[in-house]
Amino acid sequence: MRALGIDLGSREVKVVVMEDNQVIEKLKVSTLSFYKDYCNFEGKIVVDESKLNLGETDIKVSTGYGRNNTDLKSFEAINEIKAHVYGAIYQTGLKDFILIDVGGQDVKVMKVEKGLITDLELNDKCAASCGRYLENMANLLEIPLNEMAKHYQNPVELNSTCAVFSESELIGQIAEGAEMERLCAGVNYSMYKRLQPLLTKFRGRRLVLSGGVAHNQALQEYLKGDYDELLLLDDPQLNGAIGCCYYGMRAVISDK
Amino acid sequence: MKKIGITTTVPIEVLLAAGYQVIDLNNIFVTAEDCSEYIDLAERDGFPKSCCAWIKGIYGVCLKEGISEIVGVIEGDCSNTRALLEVLELKGIKVYSFAYPHRHQLRDVKEAIDDFRSLFSVDKEVVEEIRDNLNKARSLVKKLDELTYLENKATGFENHLYQVSSSDFNGDFRKFTEELESVIAEIEKRKPIAKKLRLGFIGVPPMTADIYQYVENFDACFVYNEVQREFAFPRAINHNNIYQQYYDYTYVYDLDFRLEYIQEELEHRKLDGLIHYTQAFCYREIEDVVIKQKLDIPILNISGDKLNRLDSRTKLRIEAFLDMLGDLKEGRF
Repeated sequence: MRALGIDLGSREVKVVVMEDNQVIEKLKVSTLSFYKDYCNFEGKIVVDESKLNLGETDIKVSTGYGRNNTDLKSFEAINEIKAHVYGAIYQTGLKDFILIDVGGQDVKVMKVEKGLITDLELNDKCAASCGRYLENMANLLEIPLNEMAKHYQNPVELNSTCAVFSESELIGQIAEGAEMERLCAGVNYSMYKRLQPLLTKFRGRRLVLSGGVAHNQALQEYLKGDYDELLLLDDPQLNGAIGCCYYGMRAVISDK
Repeated sequence: MKKIGITTTVPIEVLLAAGYQVIDLNNIFVTAEDCSEYIDLAERDGFPKSCCAWIKGIYGVCLKEGISEIVGVIEGDCSNTRALLEVLELKGIKVYSFAYPHRHQLRDVKEAIDDFRSLFSVDKEVVEEIRDNLNKARSLVKKLDELTYLENKATGFENHLYQVSSSDFNGDFRKFTEELESVIAEIEKRKPIAKKLRLGFIGVPPMTADIYQYVENFDACFVYNEVQREFAFPRAINHNNIYQQYYDYTYVYDLDFRLEYIQEELEHRKLDGLIHYTQAFCYREIEDVVIKQKLDIPILNISGDKLNRLDSRTKLRIEAFLDMLGDLKEGRF
């Protein structure tokens, strides 16, 4: 049995195929390209699976932001909170943890106890604590995102909580001659500071980090100090899509 | 008939034997159209923001509704009641106290009830006679509980309402009995309510009674109201005297004793999950740590404060929890 999971994110669409409880295919497509090149619209969004070149699948589950955007024909749509929790349960084998998912444009924190969501918090619709903020700042510093993500020591101070005003602050620091490492660390640290208020409501011992921003090493370093255990997923960006597959497979198993 | 307010369940038999009409002040507070008025009154008089809404509500009700005598439970329930009684005394209200003994032993319970009885100068025999009369109403409440979890005909809210009202029998146990008889007759005629998820409500009765209706949107219903059921003393008829009855009462004693009964009901009522309701700033929020550890069932803890309806964040949490609980029931993980 093969399950297809699609997570329609703000920046990228993540596609995963699972067979016999194992991930066998994974790919990422830009969101614009996904709707433009891989979908048709026939009253509902129809995914042209032949273009994805993933072969036949028995069960299809989708998730993502916005009910209309993720309601794909012949797919079961599930909410993204649940998709991420199922993804993390599958990827970690754990049933008690706090999960933070930092995506391109939103942040979700979920508390999972005995395998069920017992608390959740979503950020305001603001780019200040999301992946898009890091992308903008890396552009401003004219360095690759993964290079910027390495630096965490001795950060310059960026006070603003607004992504736009932070840019001006960063420019000010550049003008004052701050070293590139410290500027990068400053961006990463400001991101961490913005996530902190969300996380303070979710005290616990074990944090699972998912979403594209999970790749940020500096953020990992900062978060390590707040939890006994910080778990990084093998495929943090694909977590939602994996969750869709896992949910779909379990659904079929339970129906048998 | 002279009225007396109570802050939670007390041996009501003693007060009825003393000729009082008993009013559970919590019920007046929580069923008021604008319960915030009572809280405001308390805060204006100096009760802190970081104090449970029930305490402030009781205070407000006493003052606003002209309650002149009150029995406060100073052990086994909320310890803030001690200070509440002191303030009420200052306001000219006659206060009596009752303490469920910390040491959960029959002889201590007997001593506490005998002290309470002598406070109101009533004989043991009269108290037992009243207890017999009340047992009729109690067995009707028990019947209504069975109509909820065995026959699936009574709603979770009805189950909550009539059990929680058993702390004072709405001020008139004869009228309450008549009302119950007709309610039960009506409920018995209904078709069973079929819901996928069977939930238990544990913890103090909620400020937010809309939770009963809210969960129904997700194919779930409450078939167990733990503390409300205790208020109704479902096991009273099995006991020979008032001492045994109040000894066999759970939430005012230690947590382990209470958990044994909850565990029994989880199995008996075939529950899928529990919602543990606590009031903000209450010590019972700490007990959630133990409850989650000791009971092997999914538990969602929700905390109420001043609002008498669910806020949107709590609604979202309940929805997410029930969504996954539904998956669990279907064997999806």
